[in-house]
Amino acid sequence: MTRPFILSASIAEAAFAVPQSAAPILEAAEAAGLDLLVIGRSGARPFDAQVLLAWAAPITTRLGLVATVPASNAHPFHVARALSAIDFLSAGRTGWSVIPEGSPDGMAEDMVGAARALWDGWGSDTLILDKASGRYLDASKVRASNYEGPFFKVAGPLNAMRPLLGHPLLVVDGDDPIDVADADIGLIGPDGAAPAATRRLVKVALDADVAALSNRFAAGDIDGVHFTLTDALAQLPEIGTRFGSLVADRIDATGDLRARLGLPIPQTASNQPGGAVVPENA
Amino acid sequence: MMDKQIHLWAFLQGIGFFPSGWMHERARPEGVFSMDYYARVAKLAEQGMFDAIVFGDQLQSRGAGGRTPERMAMPTLDPVSLLTAMAAVTKHVGLVATVSTSYNTPEMLAERFGAMERISGGRAGWNIVTTAHPATAPNFGDDDLPPKDERYRRAKEVVAKACELWAAMDREGPMLPQGRPVLVQAGQSPDGRDFAARTAEAIFCPAANIDAGIDFRSDLRARVADVGRDPDGVRIMPGLSCVLGSSEEEARANHAAILDLADDALAIEYLSESLGCDLTPFDPQGEIPVATILEQTILPKADIARAVTPAHEKGTPLGAFAANFMRHPRGHNVFLGTPEQMADMMIAWRDAGACDGFTLQPSYMPGGLEDFVEQVVPILQQRGRLRTEYPGTTLRETLGLAAREAVAA
Repeated sequence: MTRPFILSASIAEAAFAVPQSAAPILEAAEAAGLDLLVIGRSGARPFDAQVLLAWAAPITTRLGLVATVPASNAHPFHVARALSAIDFLSAGRTGWSVIPEGSPDGMAEDMVGAARALWDGWGSDTLILDKASGRYLDASKVRASNYEGPFFKVAGPLNAMRPLLGHPLLVVDGDDPIDVADADIGLIGPDGAAPAATRRLVKVALDADVAALSNRFAAGDIDGVHFTLTDALAQLPEIGTRFGSLVADRIDATGDLRARLGLPIPQTASNQPGGAVVPENA
Repeated sequence: MMDKQIHLWAFLQGIGFFPSGWMHERARPEGVFSMDYYARVAKLAEQGMFDAIVFGDQLQSRGAGGRTPERMAMPTLDPVSLLTAMAAVTKHVGLVATVSTSYNTPEMLAERFGAMERISGGRAGWNIVTTAHPATAPNFGDDDLPPKDERYRRAKEVVAKACELWAAMDREGPMLPQGRPVLVQAGQSPDGRDFAARTAEAIFCPAANIDAGIDFRSDLRARVADVGRDPDGVRIMPGLSCVLGSSEEEARANHAAILDLADDALAIEYLSESLGCDLTPFDPQGEIPVATILEQTILPKADIARAVTPAHEKGTPLGAFAANFMRHPRGHNVFLGTPEQMADMMIAWRDAGACDGFTLQPSYMPGGLEDFVEQVVPILQQRGRLRTEYPGTTLRETLGLAAREAVAA
């Protein structure tokens, strides 16, 4: 798989909660060539990120949309359903960043385990949608997860499908990390420990040395950069100007987020690899 | 004085009202997994001057006895996500999401609906449900639902607390355009009606005929007045499905054709879900297995006994009972006739005080909604009963309610 340079940023401005501000910010994020916009961050969640993700889905076309999910104010059944819906609405551009944010030890990891078990309860090829035979789905591909963790006990099956991405991209923030296997994206603070993840992005300021970062990428030290936006509308064009050349080769890339970022579809459930497929109907 | 205006809501969960609706040639079962479908139907609802789009919800997979149905349309996607995405591609139509008070904290509810209210520019509504399906409990770590009176007690507390949290969010800013989402309710029992009277600004109900509508609306308005609220501040919106035709005869034939799409296997899956007991192992030609049903059902046994006993005593076979059961899903009014007849019926209900408007449940999607908007909406507008433009942008303005109103304690 190709290994693209990944351009990411997080936003936690209260103004992003209203459409008059959110729409131009999303437009600027796409224009800057951002791969991922992480909505909310640990200690700064002036809005419900999952709701804003749903709103952003139809008015963006290539931006990866990542919801910050606090383990302490969410339930995996609800989160798994919402992210499944948003992944379909965005045609496979969804991610989540689960943060402990003061929750008891292990709760964030339990949230991840429970939601993944619910998504894995649906095979990728469950839907049939055949009007002629009257078969809507193949029930043998749907299973109760019967997940039991230290905080969450969830029977399932989920009344929502496995997402197009299999699982939404899991982003782990090194400044408020969780301990999970198979995270897709890790965000590394300047002095912070690197979370275990398939792709590692270093947090940098807007004036970071582009050539040096490009060399670190070429050396395999990092897979991209992550910005902490404080004034998105002013900063996004600058990011595009300074860092756009690093992603210019695939600004028009299409396909789901995993395909574009070279991230494998999770194989956590051996009998149902891949992302969900919706059959073309006759 | 202006003729009484008809409010329209569109209940758009799933692929239509009839269990066989997804198989109709003008249904798009794959659409419910794509944004272009939701954009299309949201714009249709705005074209039809609907007050709001409503999605119901469950917090359990469909089926019975642990068996996932193969012939019924599922899954159901998260309503808050669907409606918020629809907000991004519309300007006026209200967005009413069904969310449970038993399986969410006030903080979760306030955060979700507060965000939806802000990002939609004041078009959010909350259909408050307490969750009555026992299969929900194991998805949230419990063996059983709380008892009904406990669920309603909790619902009152949760709504009151959520309202406090919205007031705080509104003060902190950005403001919530309506102060808080519009509160909607659908309870039928005395507990449910009492809760609705104290809380709701709009109420759904099934009303199979005009007299049932008059009874329900009169009862609710009296209850609303009894708790010191203005009955004119509450919209009562019974469910209404329809199958149209260029003549009454054609409409009946179209209805029969939809029902004919369902075979015994679908009818029995639908009955199984409704009775809370898996009946798929039984012979459709055999008798209704009443003893098994009453032994295995997870739903209230007295209600289930009432539903099955008369047919069993008549000797109706299981398959025939299931097919008949499916003809009238959930006790709603199913209108069959021409667009003109439908408009006449709607105006007659409104003028008789049987409703403030209707919650349209298209028989299949999106074709059923397209037909209503193209064929019935213009007649209602010509007769001066339906607006031709929206009065403002918030759901409260659309409903003709006070701009911002506090909930009764």
